[in-house]
Amino acid sequence: MIRCATSTLPLAVLLVGATAAVVTVSAQSKRLDPANAEDSLKIEQRLSCSLEDGKPAYYWFPGNVYSRVPGERDRLLFRVHGWSARACKTFNDPVRGYGYRAVNRELLVYEDPTTGQIMKAWRNPWTNETVEVMHVANDPVSMREPVFAKDASGKPTPRPDRGFVLEGRHFNGGSAARLYYKNPLGGDYQENIGGWYHAMEMGSDSLTVDDMLDGSKRDLGRRIGWMRASKWLPWMKMGDRAGFVYYHTAGGRVDSVEDLPEPFKTEMKTTFKMWLSAPPLDDTRPNMTSWDQFRRLADGQKKPQ
Amino acid sequence: MRSLDPLAARLTLIAALIALAATAATPTFARQARLDLSKPEDAVKAARRVQCSLADEKPVTFTWRGGVMSRVPGEQDRHLFDVEGMNIRQCQTVTDPARGYGWKMVSRELLIYLDPQTKQVLRTWKNPWTGATNDVLHVANDPVNQPPTFTRSVKGEPYQWNGRKIKNQIWQTIEVPLFYTNPMGGAYQEFVGGQYQAVEMFDFFMDEDDLLDTARDMRSVTIAWGRISQWLPWMLMGDRPGVLVFTTVGKKLDDPKNIFPTLASEIRTNYPIYTSPPPVNDTRPNETSWTFFKKVIDAKKGAKQ
Repeated sequence: MIRCATSTLPLAVLLVGATAAVVTVSAQSKRLDPANAEDSLKIEQRLSCSLEDGKPAYYWFPGNVYSRVPGERDRLLFRVHGWSARACKTFNDPVRGYGYRAVNRELLVYEDPTTGQIMKAWRNPWTNETVEVMHVANDPVSMREPVFAKDASGKPTPRPDRGFVLEGRHFNGGSAARLYYKNPLGGDYQENIGGWYHAMEMGSDSLTVDDMLDGSKRDLGRRIGWMRASKWLPWMKMGDRAGFVYYHTAGGRVDSVEDLPEPFKTEMKTTFKMWLSAPPLDDTRPNMTSWDQFRRLADGQKKPQ
Repeated sequence: MRSLDPLAARLTLIAALIALAATAATPTFARQARLDLSKPEDAVKAARRVQCSLADEKPVTFTWRGGVMSRVPGEQDRHLFDVEGMNIRQCQTVTDPARGYGWKMVSRELLIYLDPQTKQVLRTWKNPWTGATNDVLHVANDPVNQPPTFTRSVKGEPYQWNGRKIKNQIWQTIEVPLFYTNPMGGAYQEFVGGQYQAVEMFDFFMDEDDLLDTARDMRSVTIAWGRISQWLPWMLMGDRPGVLVFTTVGKKLDDPKNIFPTLASEIRTNYPIYTSPPPVNDTRPNETSWTFFKKVIDAKKGAKQ
């Protein structure tokens, strides 16, 4: 899922493409300079949320989820709606200068590909068991700390750009967050017997360089893609069965929940009301993952021993 | 798109009226009419505009860049390669008495593997699982052709535009799960395995005005391409568990000269025919990486005997 910390990756390659253009543009046009630490941070902040404290940014990225099991054709399991509601707070530190922190809530809601209805239960075609569907509803998925234009010693540190520029557009993408760690649902001996959390997430985005560097814009629309390949979801009850699931989604920034199609819009307004807005700007709760969420749910259902 | 919003529909109407009014004075202006995605023939033309040009035999180049990861159960995913790809194509109008306006496309496609650290073109690769050093075989598929798309299907059903929309942004996504008899496999794959298994995932993003205004070829199309496949034949991984995950972003080029420099240099040196598409009357069967590899291997075997 889109991570505040990693989804927006300004600039250095951009310099190559943009510097020449910057020179020709007159100074009064407030064009941001990616080589400048504060400007580069503002570019990132405008991509993620807004320079305006507390102004919400909403992302919608619908798509499909498939199974990959060796020896059989991949199956379309679910349609999916991704959603992120975030907002930023600006900081000014005497040593570290300009900074911001994004707070964020995320949703991934599963829809039946045949009926188009939000799923409550799912019949697992491999085990033939009907299981309860658990949508991804993570609150919060926020930056732990603000990021600043300068390091602890006061040295300006422009944000690195891992993207590239092609014909006047800036692109991020082409790499993956490769997640492999102790599974919060696993036991104490995962190194010995397996069961690790194992997933790959791939975000991408693009927008025009003109938009990106236009200092008069306080927030920016962009085209986004998000993919993920992971182990079976805990609620599928697939255990050690061979195979995995992958997600393919695409979308962008929307003005409000009203821009969403049904039945997802109504589901947001009823079941997932809290996700209509970003968490409070001073939220300090630890981040949540779907695996934590599942554990909480499963533990709640278990009878005390 | 699921439905055109009223504003867009009205704008289309206005555009049509203007075009209509102007026709009498300047006959050429009629060609600049705005497409209406709810009309099957316009939708077919829109799809053609995304892929190439409404002008017959006009070469169009797409290019993209990204990374390739391994996913092997029980270990962290590895970033094995970077890639740079390109496709050069042209389209031709095909009109069918029963099925109406249509178009077909012919193309050639390259994907070269780069060292993720040095960004240099890979000639050999040390396989971290087997320890062997293998010759790298880049993807060089000639041709990759597409049969005609018509305004009406064989059964007479009208063509429908497939896409989503937020404000002036439109995007199309598609997944193509592939599972078929492997051209490099034997005659008993149903019994002993070895079938070809992969999925290809595409995103096409565009500005609405750019799509609908037929006065010029599109300039706003950006793409994301992903793929999850078995090991490549030249990796010599045999039946080892695991898959490759490709993730890339790119663009329909305004000018083929803007292709990535490393890829452009590789084309000049080793793949000179990839500067133009195949002829529109090309009837050769499509090449895939697997059929291509088989030819290379067979040629090598022949040379040894």
